[in-house]
Amino acid sequence: MIKDFELFTPKTLDEALTLLDKYKDECKVIAGGQTLILLMREGLITPKYVLNIKRIPELSHIKSGKNGVRIGAATTHRAIEKSPVMKKALKVLAEMEKRLSYIETRNWGTIGGNLCNADPAGDPAPALMALKASVKMASVSGERTMALEDFFLGAHKTALKPNEILTEIQIPSVPPRTGVAYDKFNIIEGTVATAGVAVSMTLKSGDGVCDDVRIALGGLARTPMLAKKAEKVLRGKKITDSLLKQAGQKASAEAKPISDISASAEYRRELVKVMVARTGSEAFARAKKA
Amino acid sequence: MKEILKIKVNGQSHELLVKPKTLLLEVLRDHLGLTGTKRACDSGACGACTVILDGMAVKSCSILALQADGSEVMTIEGLATGNELHPLQKAFLDHGAVQCGFCTPGMLMSSKAMLDENPKANKQQIKEGIDGHICRCTGYNSLVRAITDVVKGEYKEVK
Amino acid sequence: MSKYSVIGTRVNMVGGTDKVTGNAKYTTDINLPGMLYGKILRSPHPHAKILRIDTRKAEKMVGVKAVVTGKDTIGKKQGIWRRFPELCDEEILCRTKVRFIGDPVASVAAIDEDTAEEALELIKVDYEVLPAVFDPMEAITEEAPQIHEGVELNINVNRHIEWGNVDDAFKKCDHIREDQFVCSSQAHMCMETHCAIASFDYNGKLTVWTSTQSSYYIQVLLMGMLGMREGDIRVINPYTGGGFGSKFELDSAQFCASLLSKKVCKPVKIVLNRMEEFTATKRRTPMYYFLKLGAKKDGTLLAKEVRVITEGGAYTAMGATALYLTGFFSSFPYKYPNYRYDGYRAYTNTQTSSAMRGFGAPQSTFVGESQLDMMADDLGIDPIEIRRKNGMTPDYVVPGQAFIQSCGLHQCLDKIEAHIKGRGKLPPNRGIGIAAYGFMSGGIFNWFDTPYAFSAAIVKINIDGKVDVFTGANEIGQGSDTTLSLICAEELGVNFDDIRIHSADTGICPADLGAWGSRQTLMSGNAVKMAAADAKRQLMEFAAAKLGVNIVYDLDIKDGWIHLIDRPERGVSYFDIVKAAIRGKDGETIIGRGHYTPHRKGMISPAYSFGIQAAEVEVDPETGKYKLLRATTAHDSGQVINPVGIEGQLEGAIMMAGGYGYCEDQPHENGRILNPAIGDYQLIRSLDMPETNILEIDTYEPEGPFGAKEAGEGLTNPTAGAIGNAIYKAVGVRINTLPITPEKVFKALKEKEKKEKKKKKKKK
Repeated sequence: MIKDFELFTPKTLDEALTLLDKYKDECKVIAGGQTLILLMREGLITPKYVLNIKRIPELSHIKSGKNGVRIGAATTHRAIEKSPVMKKALKVLAEMEKRLSYIETRNWGTIGGNLCNADPAGDPAPALMALKASVKMASVSGERTMALEDFFLGAHKTALKPNEILTEIQIPSVPPRTGVAYDKFNIIEGTVATAGVAVSMTLKSGDGVCDDVRIALGGLARTPMLAKKAEKVLRGKKITDSLLKQAGQKASAEAKPISDISASAEYRRELVKVMVARTGSEAFARAKKA
Repeated sequence: MKEILKIKVNGQSHELLVKPKTLLLEVLRDHLGLTGTKRACDSGACGACTVILDGMAVKSCSILALQADGSEVMTIEGLATGNELHPLQKAFLDHGAVQCGFCTPGMLMSSKAMLDENPKANKQQIKEGIDGHICRCTGYNSLVRAITDVVKGEYKEVK
Repeated sequence: MSKYSVIGTRVNMVGGTDKVTGNAKYTTDINLPGMLYGKILRSPHPHAKILRIDTRKAEKMVGVKAVVTGKDTIGKKQGIWRRFPELCDEEILCRTKVRFIGDPVASVAAIDEDTAEEALELIKVDYEVLPAVFDPMEAITEEAPQIHEGVELNINVNRHIEWGNVDDAFKKCDHIREDQFVCSSQAHMCMETHCAIASFDYNGKLTVWTSTQSSYYIQVLLMGMLGMREGDIRVINPYTGGGFGSKFELDSAQFCASLLSKKVCKPVKIVLNRMEEFTATKRRTPMYYFLKLGAKKDGTLLAKEVRVITEGGAYTAMGATALYLTGFFSSFPYKYPNYRYDGYRAYTNTQTSSAMRGFGAPQSTFVGESQLDMMADDLGIDPIEIRRKNGMTPDYVVPGQAFIQSCGLHQCLDKIEAHIKGRGKLPPNRGIGIAAYGFMSGGIFNWFDTPYAFSAAIVKINIDGKVDVFTGANEIGQGSDTTLSLICAEELGVNFDDIRIHSADTGICPADLGAWGSRQTLMSGNAVKMAAADAKRQLMEFAAAKLGVNIVYDLDIKDGWIHLIDRPERGVSYFDIVKAAIRGKDGETIIGRGHYTPHRKGMISPAYSFGIQAAEVEVDPETGKYKLLRATTAHDSGQVINPVGIEGQLEGAIMMAGGYGYCEDQPHENGRILNPAIGDYQLIRSLDMPETNILEIDTYEPEGPFGAKEAGEGLTNPTAGAIGNAIYKAVGVRINTLPITPEKVFKALKEKEKKEKKKKKKKK
């Protein structure tokens, strides 16, 4: 049962920030509410005030420029899935969105809401981290940006201050010869990832040598994480199947999975090995074509 | 403190006084008496409460009614035209894609939204289009066949 | 040319247009003037004494109209097995003790749901927490806490089935296998949760609208629990959003709503939320299986010994039936000269396990078909061959248990064999596995202790020839309204559209045991057929007179034309005769009556369906994940009455049974179910649904109406076994516990790899 609250529906970001600054911890921000409403119905969250930012125009956009792509935090998953901007390397975001929950959720739920919920197994985080995304936060005092991997502090905990709203996700331009892929493991399509892996690989010209790589893991620790040791295995080296397997082993050792009703920690570790190798291989193939 | 909600449902405009915590599903079922849309789970995961909001299939149990202020909603009660069933409704009946019927309204809403967006949806796209819905009775394949026949033009729509 | 005009045709389901337009009003959609909303307070402890319940604050809360606890009941316990009072052990609203997390202790009726829910928080319950036990193996030890007074070692029920002499027979076998299996639980997951509106009037008469599989059972059980006369209770099933075995017992929504309404003479609606549905209703019975199978080296099965312990949960419910049927169907569909089954059901402090589609047979089919394939593998015999060698045949008698009349198992085997051959050589990591089953068309046992015929029907013909059928049978989405209308139309010789059916309202329909055990097509169908024949006979009297036919000729009706069977062009319109008959009988309405109770048909069922399913899977050996690609089923359901309905039953069964094999489970820890929400409860959706195809078999069951028998449950039996056998064919590993998750397959593949490495080392 949802407890009564007062609802604010500001028309601009500034109005929203002012209200949030006034009420801070007593106020919850709602965009698509696909998670928030569920938590309120279960009585797990009982805010006195709710700040509805769903239709604030400044928060919903997908802009592509020479510095990269900027996505408003209140952009729906479906808009990202269908956006013509999501091509070439960014196609990975459309592919990731397609596997995120179901169409009805994606039609109303937002990318910002998803990131702020900070589900350790959320799909967008690894894919965006592989793309070196940053997030912009605003408050009455101003704006700040941070790397997405620094945004997550714990399970369902982010770096957002009580008076801050996540406003934008910024993806830097993707260098040439870069391929990005995302894969998730689940038993039934559309459900939360038992394990999620995103790999971005940039090649030096011609010879299949990896110039730069990012390996992001979801559902394998308290927060989405970068498998830095696994990245070291690949960076600067010529990519082969056996090297990718080694990277998988390293990522598996770096991950800190838990056991729950979906899978045991040991099984998750095994999945990481396979998924990093496979997703890395896919990213490599895409990089070669790019 | 109640607030005014202005919403168009199945072509009819309404002005209602609702508490902020009221869900869109509750406005439809309890305030407007449109009980075709169902509540079947408490986690926004089953699809039975699906309606079409501004052309998009959404779960009405996971939307605050006031967030839909100024929007247009279609529910199952708005699908037929006069006394003529919509092609999807006819196809569902012909293919036995309705058994207990509890998932049916939501399923029809998503199917309509899917075909409005993509009239030439293929089998895979149709499966994706209804994946947000749990049906415990039919095993889904008859639903896919029904929608496929509508795509093929086997049923004429009444304008 | 079909010899039938109506049955076997493809029709839109009765009630379908209401469902596709949103006009169908289910119990939750019904609103009555002055209606109150009820909520139930449930025990947070798996096992505890109730010391004290203080409801005063709740009663005083503004908007609360009534509060009830166990003290407001007449102190009776109830259960479905009414012939065995010791098995009627459930108070529903607990008086002195709670036995599982979710056991009801109080209920509130208020002006709206929110008020009722807030009022629950004001009820103070003092419990004395008792030690609890959750594992049936532990529950039957001396150290375990006693869950029901007087029940030693928590052994709720035991069942024994035996013929021949298995001990002697095992000595004669060339090969014996002993295997253990664990079958998981499963949630019914009906889209509509349990719900009821109960309305007492000031004359003390009760009307209940409820989502149910048996209006009659609910009527009788409420009678017992409220101390009322059966005829003062009317139970109506408006539309029901799924049952699958969960809704023919008296539940907390029905009982609490009735108690609350009685206090204030206002309608009270209670709708269980999804968490209550997952944790405080009933579920499939988890079973621990010990199987011993003995055969000759040519594959002839000589003996089978089965021992089962089931996790019963807190109360008996239908668990005793599941215990019996799993033992009975463990002998299906093969001819065992020697057989022994011993089953024990243990009480545990968990949600009660009861009836779910298949009723113990999905479990017995999974374990039996897995072991049979293992035996075939040991003996070097093809899985189809071993089934052909031992499969039941028409007119087989299961010693002391059952008479099989029609049996299309061998035709099914032929069809499946051809299908598998047609699939050709499969790519690596892909396999096809089969499982065979047999199932009952309704049960013969009358442990409910009804004095009525198991099914009854009334057919009324109106002056314009339109027909009203009254049946107590329950439409729960399986299409019984449609099937029974088809049967009536065929028998009476009119069109499907001429029939209007009224079902499952105890106030106007004759008693019928309801939709469970796959009984309605055969039993309710026979009753409707008999009633239609009775009405038809009344018309024929007048037709014969009108036509003035020679005594040697017989008449029949087809497509509204009453005619000589030998000279069909000679006849008279059904519609004219109806008018003549009514005038001729002094204006009396033409009413036909019918009923059916199986007699002298053995101990289990009047008829059995059979089938065999082939599941094709593709395994990813690096992760253990597998895809259910295809499920092909050859099944024998006798004469098909409602082809659209049967296809629906088959595909729906594969979704449910496939889920049982692949992903569905209700694991619990310390009595708490760990996944009581959709999203956490994994089940098959459209993207994971396999391709399905049906291979038709032609048989005729003499006991069934027009030769029909069941289809709804038998089809739920084979899929888990077929999946297990398919995985073995694909990647050579066996999983003996359900569900067969990717993690289990992965672990088994790793073990297999280790063993093979060891073997290689040894060889070197």
